Amino acid sequence: MGGMLLVVILSGCGLNVPADPDGTLDSVRGGTLQVGISPNGEFTVVGDDDTYSGSEVALIEGFAEELGADIEWTVGSEETLVRGLEDDRIDVVIAGLTDATPWVEKTGVTRPYREATADDRSTQKLVMLVPIGENAFISELETFLSEAAGESE
Amino acid sequence: MTGNRDKDMAHDLSSPSGVKFGHTELPPKQVDVLRKAIRLEWITIGFLAITVTLVALVLGNSQAMKAAWIEDLLSFIPPVAFLIAVRVNRRAPTLKHPYGYHRSVGVGHLVSAVALTTMGTYLIIDSATGLIKAEHPTIGTVVLFGQTVWLGWLMIGVMAAIALPPVLIGRAKMDLAKQLHNKLLYADADMNKADWMTAVGSIVGVAGIGLGVWWLDSAAALFIAGSILYDGVRNLKAAILDLMDERATTFDDKKPHPVSGEVEKYLRSLSWVADAGCRVRDEGHVFHIEAFLVPIDDKMPSLDTLERTREACIDIDWKVQDIVLVLVPELPDVVGSKSGGTHG
Repeated sequence: MGGMLLVVILSGCGLNVPADPDGTLDSVRGGTLQVGISPNGEFTVVGDDDTYSGSEVALIEGFAEELGADIEWTVGSEETLVRGLEDDRIDVVIAGLTDATPWVEKTGVTRPYREATADDRSTQKLVMLVPIGENAFISELETFLSEAAGESE
Repeated sequence: MTGNRDKDMAHDLSSPSGVKFGHTELPPKQVDVLRKAIRLEWITIGFLAITVTLVALVLGNSQAMKAAWIEDLLSFIPPVAFLIAVRVNRRAPTLKHPYGYHRSVGVGHLVSAVALTTMGTYLIIDSATGLIKAEHPTIGTVVLFGQTVWLGWLMIGVMAAIALPPVLIGRAKMDLAKQLHNKLLYADADMNKADWMTAVGSIVGVAGIGLGVWWLDSAAALFIAGSILYDGVRNLKAAILDLMDERATTFDDKKPHPVSGEVEKYLRSLSWVADAGCRVRDEGHVFHIEAFLVPIDDKMPSLDTLERTREACIDIDWKVQDIVLVLVPELPDVVGSKSGGTHG
């Protein structure tokens, strides 16, 4: 009803919904994707000579390629990287995080893109972190991740 | 007032002589109104259960949606209070409760008002904090039928779908509240009628997030919180004034209730009465009246005359539940007199 009408009106005006208040997606597309990485098992591996590997590294490289962006890496603790998100120096944090992450108050947490079995055999839902409230960017990343997860299955 | 009517009632109204509020037997019309009101309140509760579930499913990080959801949760209180109150006040007065249980309506009214005021205040602080700290709400996507959809669209869809029904239910209840003289039902109806503003407010908030105008969400939440607080304070005032035995007013508290004037007019018309005035307490649905009578030439009427007068007063309106006649040499200051009545 009213919602449908709003969809028509907003898309008719050529507006992108959702939009980023701070324009993260626009700055990344065709530019640089600032990735914060904290080593965590098979998800995120930081090698000796600035080499990065792991399942999440592969995913984020695919995401950067889709947006035509170069990656600039920042290695640090989760707290340092979250501060980077808040200060607009980092666009996405990968660290094998789960949906139980306590950073939910300070960052935008993506929808879980995959389930993984932890050492204690419990099922964990994997997520990534983006700057809070950058809704076009988080929607773009979530869409990419759910498609990438679908292909890998 | 037949047996069949009783069976139709949603509750057990097994009194053989009909439906009673304390001692007062309800006229057939009011029995019918009461039955409709009870049914509408159950419909309201059912609708709210669906609403609260739907909104919870799409809640996300929007402050406006949170405010709207809390308002929906609070909306359970008035109908539940009403259903409890109309059950409780059917009990007949006893030695321990000589005035009956009519005040249950007023108590329900007060409880609803306190809940609204508290939550309204909390939400205003919560939303204002979000606005000041410039918290940007994050709303991502969900997968719906294999499609990735921005959750904001679902929020807007749900709020648009639930905006209208409460308005229609509220309008129907408003009419019943008037006929039943029930201020709790009136408060509930009034809140339902204004419910579309909450839905529109949260749609504006979410649309704001969608357009990248992050502060619109907190602003919309403030608007919704303000409307909850407004409802709370207004009802708090009305409930407290009633419990403080303010003179009886119409169901919307706009003017003095006409029944007081009618009883006074009748009493003054009696041949043995020089002047008369009433002190009327609104007990919820019904009135308790103390009528002060000044006999002509200090001549005492017979017991028989007094009793007939009392019964005639009760026959004036079903709301005259209990009337006490007091013979006095001159009227107390607090009641109206022939020359300058305080009752409109």
